[in-house]
Parts: sequence; structure tokens; C-alpha cells
Amino acid sequence: MRSNKNEESVTRRDFLRGTAYGTVGLALGLNLACSEAGKDEAVAFDPVSMAKSLFKAERPVSRVVLVRDERALDADHKVNAGVVAEMIDAAVKTLSGEKETARAWQHYVRPEDKVGVKYTRCESVRVHTEQAVIDAIVARLAEAGVAKAGIRATDYGLPLKECTALINVPTIKVHPLTGIAVSLKNYINFTGRESSYHHEGSVKLGEPWLLPHVKGKTRLIIVDALRPYFGPGPQVSPVHRWDYRGILAGTDPVAIDTIGLAIAQAKRNLYKGEEWIISPPPTSIAAADTVYHLGTSDPSKIQLIRQGWEKDALV
Amino acid sequence: MEQFLPTKTAGWVAAGADRYFTRDNIFEYMDGAGEIYLAYDFRRLLVREYEKRAAPRIIAEIYQMSSSEDAYGIFSHDTDGQPVTLGRGAIYAAGLLRFWKDRIFVRLLAGEETAGTKAAVMALGKNIDAALPSAGKKPRLLAALPLPGLLRGSVHYFHTQVSLNAHYFLADSNLLNLSPKTEVVLARYLRSGRKVRLLLCRYADAAEAKAAFEQFNKVYLHDRSAPKLPGRVEKVERGEFVSARWNEAFLILVFEARDPRTCEALTEAVVKRVGEVFR
Repeated sequence: MRSNKNEESVTRRDFLRGTAYGTVGLALGLNLACSEAGKDEAVAFDPVSMAKSLFKAERPVSRVVLVRDERALDADHKVNAGVVAEMIDAAVKTLSGEKETARAWQHYVRPEDKVGVKYTRCESVRVHTEQAVIDAIVARLAEAGVAKAGIRATDYGLPLKECTALINVPTIKVHPLTGIAVSLKNYINFTGRESSYHHEGSVKLGEPWLLPHVKGKTRLIIVDALRPYFGPGPQVSPVHRWDYRGILAGTDPVAIDTIGLAIAQAKRNLYKGEEWIISPPPTSIAAADTVYHLGTSDPSKIQLIRQGWEKDALV
Repeated sequence: MEQFLPTKTAGWVAAGADRYFTRDNIFEYMDGAGEIYLAYDFRRLLVREYEKRAAPRIIAEIYQMSSSEDAYGIFSHDTDGQPVTLGRGAIYAAGLLRFWKDRIFVRLLAGEETAGTKAAVMALGKNIDAALPSAGKKPRLLAALPLPGLLRGSVHYFHTQVSLNAHYFLADSNLLNLSPKTEVVLARYLRSGRKVRLLLCRYADAAEAKAAFEQFNKVYLHDRSAPKLPGRVEKVERGEFVSARWNEAFLILVFEARDPRTCEALTEAVVKRVGEVFR
């Protein structure tokens, strides 16, 4: 007996035709609005004129900054904390358009804020946010004037009710249940019902962002893209991590995840020497755009600003 | 399970208390990734860590499944790496050794790959292998795969939709009515110069297989009329061909073929093998 749910199924054929999951099909070929930023050049941001001149966008573009530095990891994958801090500084300065780091951070936090830094740390899967990334962010928050007592960095147990601002600090990992895990999925443990957001439920990964103590508080997303994971899971195999040596920064989680998806998909294709489509399709990204209205997954409305090391950037 | 693990190996010594996880609390150890283990009949996990001064740690995970078939199944989830002669099947990749034997799936991970950790992981694997008295058997369904053109490392064995979608997304609903009682093999073949995908499902009986075949016809191939029995080939997106064949308790699907003949030839070969293995 066939259920109505099966009658309404979204199938692989819909996905390949591009009639399902919005622009998630971009995994097969991303067409972004890219620009290069000089190392010392802050980019002036005028979203209205940008939209008029570059795109037929109905909304202003979402900007995502990608900073890469070959020195971020050594040959043994050890993190160079100083270089990582420089990368984060560069990303936030470019995103904000400021030339000084403290002023750049002041675009996103105020001294009176109680800031929750939400990173990711799973004991078994082991694609953690690197401690150097967390430390650099906490240090910069303090330098921007936020009291040390007002900064809390953790994976589990953020006092969301008290927090007036959130900094989302995920990694990039392909996930066997949700397709991809970047910034949208990083808030899953705010719900206490993590399992309900797996399988078909992964389409609802935008939901935690609208919880009363979460909604509107995310000021900045900084993605640790130093060593993403692109394999089939369920746990990490070292051969499916690579030294991408990147940091992504932005304020639009959907745009950030779209770029993260594109990077991971490109790496999978490169690794196999053929198309290795991320499976299951990351339905959360399109839904976060069209259902939860958290940002844009439309490549024509995402401006990717690349900075630094260019080799094998993949996007 | 602790009897399978030594207290020391190649200079590494067990450190800290062993930890145990079951179906009820596996998420405490691996968050959402636990769903893939639960998609098989996973029973218990033992985690033991080994340490050595000035050397990376080694983590040993021993997964006990309810059957050797499911131990093979979870082993087949990720097939990337170098095959190693150990247990009933083993793969080594950059500090990670995985193998299966009897009802046990073993995962040994060095914090960092060095010559020393590689030797220690291999030695630990051999210790565990030697401590496991029975070999166990592979799923019988694997024998139904025709060998010509079968790509090494491409075979995945599982039961449910969760595993299927992790490997090859077909639909967001349970289109093939997969359940813990269903046996499924997904494999890739090189046929007519192109890689094609075979999905072979074994149901409890012919009626279940027929229902899945009809549903696939209707939902995936968009055929609202009575399906042509016992099977059909259709041209779909990107100029690819897809075929579906109902054969007693089996459903045979071929994807990504360049032409109808490839679908038909591979399907016929599977039908023949199924007849030989299951009669």
C-alpha cells in the first residue's frame, strides 16, 4: 500500500532536474558572484548599488568572505594559532569594511553584550572547531570591549536566555543524515531534540534559529574551514579530511552554508575524479531560505570575497 | 567484549576506564552518526584508549552487532582505503584500521599517523583478530552479484532507507518500503565503458517485492498505469537509463546506464545469479 507521502516524494530525478531543494543543485555547478580582495584592502559595501549593477537580485546580496593562508597548518596538520588569528582578523575586517580589527568587531558586538560563542565538538566524529579559532574570537570580543565575564564559549550549555549576541563558529562536514553540517546545523543542540532534526527532519534545521532565545541574536558566523570533512561517515576517516586552510565569515547562515556545501562538493568530485554527489541532499539550506527566511541560497545573490592563498580554493 | 582487547600493545598501554554504549545511549558517544549504527542491529560498543609517552593516542572501538552480516554491513559503509589481510575483511587509511569478523566490527584510530602508530594499530588489530574465535559469514545476498565489471570497494550492504540515502539518494520518502528485515546491496559496475549502479533488494516475500516495484514505477518512473511485468527500462534525466525488475522476492534496479541494453544485460545477470544462490 502506498502512502500519500510517497505520492508526493521528492526523488533523485527532481533533484537532478533542479526542481527540488531550490538552489541546492548548485552543488553540480556553482555560479557565484566572486570578487578578490587585496590583503590590505577593505572593500566598501553598498548592497543596493551592488545589486543593481551586478545582479537582478530582489534583495541585497549576502556577502561571504573566504580567507585562506597556506601557513595556517603545518605538514602534520598542526594549527598555527597566530596565522589563524590573522585570518579571522582579515575576514572580519573585510566583511565589515573596517581597517582596524577592534573597530571591525564593534560592527557586530557592543561592550554591554553577553556573547555566546557556539562552537562544535563531537567526541567521536572529531571535526571540532579548532581551539585556536575559538581563542582568537574570544580575544577579539574582549578587545572590542565585551567584558570577559560576558563571553561564554561552549558547544553545549550556552545560557541562551542571558545571551544578547551569538557568534556561530562551526566547521564544515559532510553528514550522512543531513547532507552537510555547517552553521545551520550548529544550533541543533539548542533544541534538546537533536534526533528530530535528522532524516526527513533535517529540512527543519532552520527552526532552532527561530527559538525565542535564539532568534535575531546571531551577529556573526565564522566557519573553521581549516580541515573540513567530505566523506560518507558515519565517523571520520582521516583520508576524508583535507587541509583547506580557510576561514569563512559572514552574517547570512544560508549563504555561508551554500558556500560550505560548494566547497565540500567540489572536494568530493576532485577526490573521486567523478561526480560524488553529497547524499542525502542538504534540504536544510533551501528550506532555511524559502521556509525560515534566514538568508539566501541563490548563488546570484551571494557575493563571495576571496582573500589570500588561492591554490585549490574550489569555489 | 573486553576479552578481545589487550591491555597493552607495541608500547601503548590502556589508559582510563573502558566505556560502554548501547542502542540507548550511542548518541552520547557519536551524536547523529549513531543513526547509521542503529540502522543495523547494533548491540553494544566498547571504547578503550591507549597511550604511550610522547606518542599519539590510539582509540579502539569494538562494535558488537547481532549478526556477522550486519558486522559486514557497517564495515561496508565506508570502503575508502587500502585493503589489509585481517579478519574477514579490513581497510587501512591514514591511521584508521577497520575490520570485521564474526559479529564484531573493529575501528582502531590513531590520533596521528606515524610509523609507530601504524605498526601499533596493525599489531592491535592482529591481537583482536586472534582473540575472535569465529569467522562469521558474509551476507548471502552478496553472492547474487555478478562478478564481471563489479568495481572493487563499491559494494554496500544495508537494510533501511537511512543507509540508502547516505549512499545514493533516491527519494525523501521510503520509496522502496525498506525495513530492518529488508536486505539491500548497492554496487557499481563498469559496463560499456560507463559506471552504472545496481540496487538489489531482497524482501520477505514476493508480494512485498512486487509492491515496492509498483511503487517505484509510479513514483520514480511516473507511470500511473499498471506496471509492465516483470520489468521495464526508462530514459530519464541527463540521457541516462533506469530499469526496474521484479523477480520473486527481489527487486533489481539499475541506474545511470548509457543504454537500455546495459540495464537489461546486468539485470539478466543478476536474475541468473539470484536463481543460482537462492534456489
